[in-house]
Amino acid sequence: MVMSICGLIMLFVLPELPYVSGYILRLIIGASIALIICLGLNILTGYCGQLNIGQSAFVMVGAFTSALLNSKFGLPFWATFIPAGLAAATVGVFFGIPSVRLKGLYLALTTLGAQIILAWIALFGFPITAAGFSVDPIKIGSIAFNTPQKFYYIAIPFAVVMTFFAKNMMRSKPGRAFIAVRDNDKAAEGMGIDIFRYKLLAFAICTFYAGVAGSLLVHYMMWAQLESFTLQDSIWYLVMIIVGGLGSIEGTIFGVIFITVLKEIVFVIGPIAETKLSFLPMGAGSGLLLIIIGGMAILFLTVEPRGLAHRWNLFKAYYRLWPFGY
Amino acid sequence: MEFIGSLIISGLMNGAIYGLVALGFVLIYKSSSVLNFSQGHMLLLGAYTFWFFKSSMGLNLYLSLLLAIGVGFLIGILIERLTLRRLIGQPLISMITVTIFLSLVIEGFVSLIWGSYPLQHIAIFSNQCFNIGNCVLTTQNLYAFGLAFSTALALVLFFRYTNLGLAMRGVAEGHQIMQGMGISVKKILNISWGIAGMAATIGGIILGSTLGFRLGLSHIGLLAIPAAFIGGLESPEGAILGGLLIGLCESIVSGYVGNAAGVPAAFLILIVGMIFKPYGLFGLVKIERV
Repeated sequence: MVMSICGLIMLFVLPELPYVSGYILRLIIGASIALIICLGLNILTGYCGQLNIGQSAFVMVGAFTSALLNSKFGLPFWATFIPAGLAAATVGVFFGIPSVRLKGLYLALTTLGAQIILAWIALFGFPITAAGFSVDPIKIGSIAFNTPQKFYYIAIPFAVVMTFFAKNMMRSKPGRAFIAVRDNDKAAEGMGIDIFRYKLLAFAICTFYAGVAGSLLVHYMMWAQLESFTLQDSIWYLVMIIVGGLGSIEGTIFGVIFITVLKEIVFVIGPIAETKLSFLPMGAGSGLLLIIIGGMAILFLTVEPRGLAHRWNLFKAYYRLWPFGY
Repeated sequence: MEFIGSLIISGLMNGAIYGLVALGFVLIYKSSSVLNFSQGHMLLLGAYTFWFFKSSMGLNLYLSLLLAIGVGFLIGILIERLTLRRLIGQPLISMITVTIFLSLVIEGFVSLIWGSYPLQHIAIFSNQCFNIGNCVLTTQNLYAFGLAFSTALALVLFFRYTNLGLAMRGVAEGHQIMQGMGISVKKILNISWGIAGMAATIGGIILGSTLGFRLGLSHIGLLAIPAAFIGGLESPEGAILGGLLIGLCESIVSGYVGNAAGVPAAFLILIVGMIFKPYGLFGLVKIERV
């Protein structure tokens, strides 16, 4: 309790500390938006056991809903982030319907389909979403949150509140039902859990999180464009929750931080490696990133399927009794 | 009328290629009930290995074909040994997820070694064309067509009449049971991934010589997924039929709607189809009751 309050205070004074530049703040904001997306994904994939490989398409639905409401009707962020989440959830439930009769694998396919279909609609369906358009920054009264230093105070509370909700939801009736569906769906049905309803509910929650995060993202970038929502982003969110630990809220936080930092390191060393090592062909830096990220996910899936969260629990159990471990 | 005629012909020809790739999905699914999302990328790697032997090493055509297919077999075995063997007995969903990340790693390796720009073209087949009415057929198309059908036939026979095929179908049903029956799950998985690697290489070489050797080759794997599903994941003949259907739908939709609408249309058909006929046209219907 004391630790978490200290942690929260630390988070809130962070931008004022020395050595904390805009670059670091931008990383943290990116990570906290990714955290909201990954929390939703972990509820669906980690807790309910339904693979989703089209998460960024639902982020896109939320982002464009919010951005269009803002630029067409002039609504502020505070009036659009809930509709954005609901729009994403509606689209998500539509793509979740085929999972009624089928298990695991098939939701993966419909979500892959969602990614491809929604991206196509955004690219060719409407000229405005294909070209990209500008969005107003978030405002409270006369303060506009348009720099990383200011937006930090929007992104962090959102991430904290969404984490709080996710953590508590998983201890409620739906949360327990999700876990039952994941572990043994036949037994769950025998216990009187309506599998279809809870699968769709998990999917709606997942996509709602995605929509809210999308709304935050466009107001942070102040520009809504298609390129931020690709299949590769979806896969990266999946890597984050796998590295962090499927079915663990703390794990999601670890995974997001770990992958964000790793990605940044590779972004820095990739071009250097490309120029220094002359035998590498053009565009090898992006290949390096793919190998490291993909390899990391495979490594965790095969060697440590419970992710960093499990390591953290082992560490805590060890240090609780330290130095008298036995 | 002529327009739609040529659309149908070109759709069927592309469809045969999708069917060929979809057969790779079926092969893996029938022997381990895993959907291999990295099929498209294994195909890419196969095509690039062939390019390496043919163009960089300067070997002759048949030798490099043979070598590339051999390397494809080894790559399949290696993938199974390094990643999937550790997941025997784990939930299936983790095996499926691993194949998604395999595709990232393979694409990474390809662009690390060969760069991300298209390579110099190699033509395997002669550039002869046939005219049927207003439609143009190339020898490549015909080879792909014939190869797809013969591979499908071979797979049907293999799974129905050989002991290895029977063991593979058994492993797909459940690892523990098969292990208990005295069949080595490791060996079966290993062989089936080897064969899948080989098949992907053959498909990749045909595709590469048609579309050019470039990273975008792996996208064909995306289109072959609906093909495999519409036909039913357990049936090779369904994969060919699904491939032809998807090819037709893609070319007709792209022809009339434009804007590369074929791919999303294929997925739309897949999603709607899955609501009404979840196991595809020829798939094995599994009934579970509580």
